Amino acid sequence: MLFNSFEFFIFLPIVFVLYWFVLNKNLSIQNILLLVASYVFYGWWDVRFLSLIMLSTILDYYVGLKIHNTEEPKKRKHWLWLSMGFNLGLLCFFKYFNFFIDSWITAFNSVGIEMDPFALSIILPVGISFYTFQTMSYSLDISKRRLEPTKDFVAFATFVAFFPQLVAGPIERASNLLPQFLKRRKFDYYLAADGLRQMLWGLFKKIIIADNCAPYVNDIFANYGSQSSGTLILGVIVFAFQIYADFSGYTDIAIGTARLFGFDFKRNFNFPYFSRNISEFWKKWHISLSSWLNDYLFTPLAIEFRNYKKHGIFTALFLTFLISGLWHGAGWTFIIWGGLHGLYYIPVIYSKKRFTSISTNKKTSKKEEYSLSDLPKIILTFLMVCLTYIFFRAASVADAFGYIKIIFTEIPLWPSSVPYKSLFFIAVVMVTEWFQRGKEHGLQFNEDSKVPVYLRWTIYILLLLTILVFSGQQQEFIYFQF
Amino acid sequence: MKKFLKKLGLLFLIFIAVNVVINYVYESSANKAIENKTHKNYLKWTDIHKNKNSYDLVVMGASRAYYAFSPTIIDSSLNINSYNMGTSAQDIVESYYSLKEIFEYQNPKYVVLDLFFPLSDNVHDYSQIFSNASFFNSNKTKLELITEGYGGSGVANYLMPALKFNNYIKQDLLGLFKEKEAIKSETNWIKGHLHDTVTVTDKQILKFEPTHNFENTAFDKKRFEKYFNKIKRLVEANNAKIICVRVPYPPSRLLLSDTDDENEYYSNFMSKVNIPYFDLNSYKSDKYKYKDQDFADYHHPNYKGAEKASMQLVEAINKLNK
Repeated sequence: MLFNSFEFFIFLPIVFVLYWFVLNKNLSIQNILLLVASYVFYGWWDVRFLSLIMLSTILDYYVGLKIHNTEEPKKRKHWLWLSMGFNLGLLCFFKYFNFFIDSWITAFNSVGIEMDPFALSIILPVGISFYTFQTMSYSLDISKRRLEPTKDFVAFATFVAFFPQLVAGPIERASNLLPQFLKRRKFDYYLAADGLRQMLWGLFKKIIIADNCAPYVNDIFANYGSQSSGTLILGVIVFAFQIYADFSGYTDIAIGTARLFGFDFKRNFNFPYFSRNISEFWKKWHISLSSWLNDYLFTPLAIEFRNYKKHGIFTALFLTFLISGLWHGAGWTFIIWGGLHGLYYIPVIYSKKRFTSISTNKKTSKKEEYSLSDLPKIILTFLMVCLTYIFFRAASVADAFGYIKIIFTEIPLWPSSVPYKSLFFIAVVMVTEWFQRGKEHGLQFNEDSKVPVYLRWTIYILLLLTILVFSGQQQEFIYFQF
Repeated sequence: MKKFLKKLGLLFLIFIAVNVVINYVYESSANKAIENKTHKNYLKWTDIHKNKNSYDLVVMGASRAYYAFSPTIIDSSLNINSYNMGTSAQDIVESYYSLKEIFEYQNPKYVVLDLFFPLSDNVHDYSQIFSNASFFNSNKTKLELITEGYGGSGVANYLMPALKFNNYIKQDLLGLFKEKEAIKSETNWIKGHLHDTVTVTDKQILKFEPTHNFENTAFDKKRFEKYFNKIKRLVEANNAKIICVRVPYPPSRLLLSDTDDENEYYSNFMSKVNIPYFDLNSYKSDKYKYKDQDFADYHHPNYKGAEKASMQLVEAINKLNK
């Protein structure tokens, strides 16, 4: 089920009413409702793959208890490897099998050993990269004794499958989300009202910006060979806003939905296009993934390579970004995208006295101060990120290099077509987010907000009408494919 | 919770009020036209409902169909009584439900269905679809069209005029910043056919684009085949015959097109399901040579093009009856 679908607008009020008005007396029953609702939400797309989520849930629940109850380090490791092996095995089979086989055959063919192409027709289950990472972090945290496993199976199963974040995150840690399933939730007016506003803001970004930019970007990337340099530059810039609006819009709807049920998710975006360097960008973009990679991959690797000092840190970081690329998609374009981000860190690592983390999932809601001298840094960082997006969006590595070649070898003329309407809405969102940058989303008003009520309501109605009137052709969320 | 529900309710009420206003603004011209008996869909459906069992042939399709086929020419050549039930932006789903309504009142021998890719893509003009369906006498068919035919999106558009009229609102808003073009009046309707005397200009010809193919449209094969088969079953159950046609395009557009996916797909599909199909771009092309001047714009035949297309249809029916 898509957040921007009619089905979801029927599904959500039904679950909301049952949750707060019918089954509000008993926590376990509320959790069962959320679990059933989450399975319905997922099964709407393809009921067959529910079995994978259930299998992953049962295994990690059991393994969690086993790790906790075993004192012997070797046995604990064995249980941990069972969880890792199963989750990574699922990912490798469903997401990477054909990619590995393809790459293997290409490698053999390139040294003169002819092999016949071979591929299985495997459907990628939606959200697999998200929920496997979520369950792996549960087992890893228990093995490091950072977390106690839960004995409440329903709460654990709901934590894994909770519908607002099941298919495209944020990747919630058990330490933050699981306790929320174990204690009684009270309806919080401000949390719920802010949740609704956040959903509205997310829908606006998704439907008005992402869906309207999609046909323009698709056309440019599909026919880049016949486009001018200026059009290609504009194409990748529009894509940067499309993917931001698509993914941060999805996240806003997910967080807002969870708030309606009394849950508080960690933040996933912190206005990333206002970053002044690449390190800041990764602290603000897809925070739940970058902090996951930081905690479970980069930090252990950096410790492993600590004898090599800065070179060791760079190696750990570069490997982390390559894997981050592979996480996004089974293709060389994504690996190069990750690699480029890794390379961007060279000046950061070698100029800083001490580099400790890529990202953090600690809450920050302080309004950052900027000066005019930050503007060139913001623009440069944005352009560097845009360059990597060419690989992220292109159909193949050859296409990405072809795209870049035209940009850098031809004189950039004024683009042949300009999506003025989309650019106008992009400007509206960016200006709003600039002034709201100390807040959690573009439509957050504090209790003591000086914005008059009538103006706020006018904004809500205008946003709703704009969504209805200027909606583009409905598109799937980009991150569903990951 | 009370405060939350109160505010949510208030927001909902304001939202409904805004939608009611939008509905009033955009439906008022249609209501006036119905009052004055000039609304084209109203007139068509009134003819279908009032003149029971009198039409031998009905033409279905979008605007290309009601521009192209003149019942006057068809009737005089075949000695039958035909009617053009093409309506603006009619897609395959709408054709099916319209035919369901038509068969309640008429017993035609032939159903002519005009085919082109946008007839089954994922872009629907709901204001046109619901305008057409609003004249169905059968509430059941109307409801089926909305819920089964267009699913959740159909229901949402039916309930929210801001969504249903979004293209028109957008045009009006953007029109505030643009110079308004003169609107051509469409008043010359004869038995559902629009007799248009406008000829495409050289400036328009220069802006022509290639014809529809799989790349430049979002043609939904599955949807088309599902509803075409429904139409086939419905027509056969009523002892009528379907004849599929493709209304011609201006020759300059055909020259711009590298592929002809539309014709290839329809001719393959129709031969599979054993339904006669005539591409009027090529059928008896030595006799009916089209010129750009036979068109009112980039894809609607004017009265000259309609004469040719109607005669091609007559010849096609004669061929089938031999």
